[in-house]
Amino acid sequence: MRHFTLSLLAGLALSSPGLAAEGTRIQVSGEIIDTWCYYSGVMGGPDAVVGSAHHTCALWCSAGGIPVGLLAEDGTVYMVLKVGDDTQTAGGDTLLRMAAHTVEADGMLYERDGLRYIVVSDVVSDLDITNKNHEDYGNVPGFSIPDPNK
Amino acid sequence: MLKHLTAAIALLATPLAAQDFSEGSQARSWNLYAEIPAKFEAKVVDLVCEFTGDCPADCGAGKRQMGLLRTADDVLILAMKNSQPAFTGAAVELQPYCNQVITVDGLMLDDPDLGARNVYLVQSIVPPGETDKIKANTWTKVWAKEHPEAKGKGPWFRRDPSIKEIIATEGYLGLGLEIDEAFIAENF
Repeated sequence: MRHFTLSLLAGLALSSPGLAAEGTRIQVSGEIIDTWCYYSGVMGGPDAVVGSAHHTCALWCSAGGIPVGLLAEDGTVYMVLKVGDDTQTAGGDTLLRMAAHTVEADGMLYERDGLRYIVVSDVVSDLDITNKNHEDYGNVPGFSIPDPNK
Repeated sequence: MLKHLTAAIALLATPLAAQDFSEGSQARSWNLYAEIPAKFEAKVVDLVCEFTGDCPADCGAGKRQMGLLRTADDVLILAMKNSQPAFTGAAVELQPYCNQVITVDGLMLDDPDLGARNVYLVQSIVPPGETDKIKANTWTKVWAKEHPEAKGKGPWFRRDPSIKEIIATEGYLGLGLEIDEAFIAENF
């Protein structure tokens, strides 16, 4: 009987889904950003590592599996964990194609230990790149565009 | 008696966030403004699983974002970066230890002005039951195996087919090829 109970418990542990956290449904608008460059400052200040100036580097980081964020108009960053049915947010194509775009997202918000995570159920709108900050910052980093003279 | 009880309660109430995880760290500085060396034991978790209950046995095979649930205080750390200076994340490094307890060494970013809290660059991993650390630098090797068609000279990010396709149609600035041409003519 004891073995049966242990086997049953082990079976349940293997097959059952994990416990879900309690989230809050939100709609948020903002820019799809590369969170490493934004948080680390490794390529420059926060205004320079977004938008058209940073588009190519945002592609590199997204394809490289660095977490992609949604930078809301109030400065809040939401870490994107899923878009629709696509959970491949560590290097997947869905977020790659939205790099530096301004979007409106509907999803579930989870707050944990100082960070905000979002599971996006629907991208309500995608306005493409609206932050044309290359006019102020050029391309960031400078090597993101290969020098055609070399 | 009351004095001892008060002291015990005060000790228990000491915020765990005040713990110093830099002790024993051998993390290399990246000269980042907000970096703090941090070495700690943690359980490797799939973040989608953690929040939604959707939990594949392999934690998403390196394609889902991963977290580190720190043993000492149950704080969830976002594993953002591996040790390669090559625009590469940490999921591929951590996924082999899905739901296992490991020891990591690296750099924590803490920048309240930008909202960066519990964000981590993993430099090394001590697997469960082992004493030797391994470098968290396998991403480019994994990418090369997944993209044999992209073999060639130069860094991976210049050769990645998905990146090249987007740049070919939208340009480096993402605003179209005409804007790219004008920008390059003016700046190079």
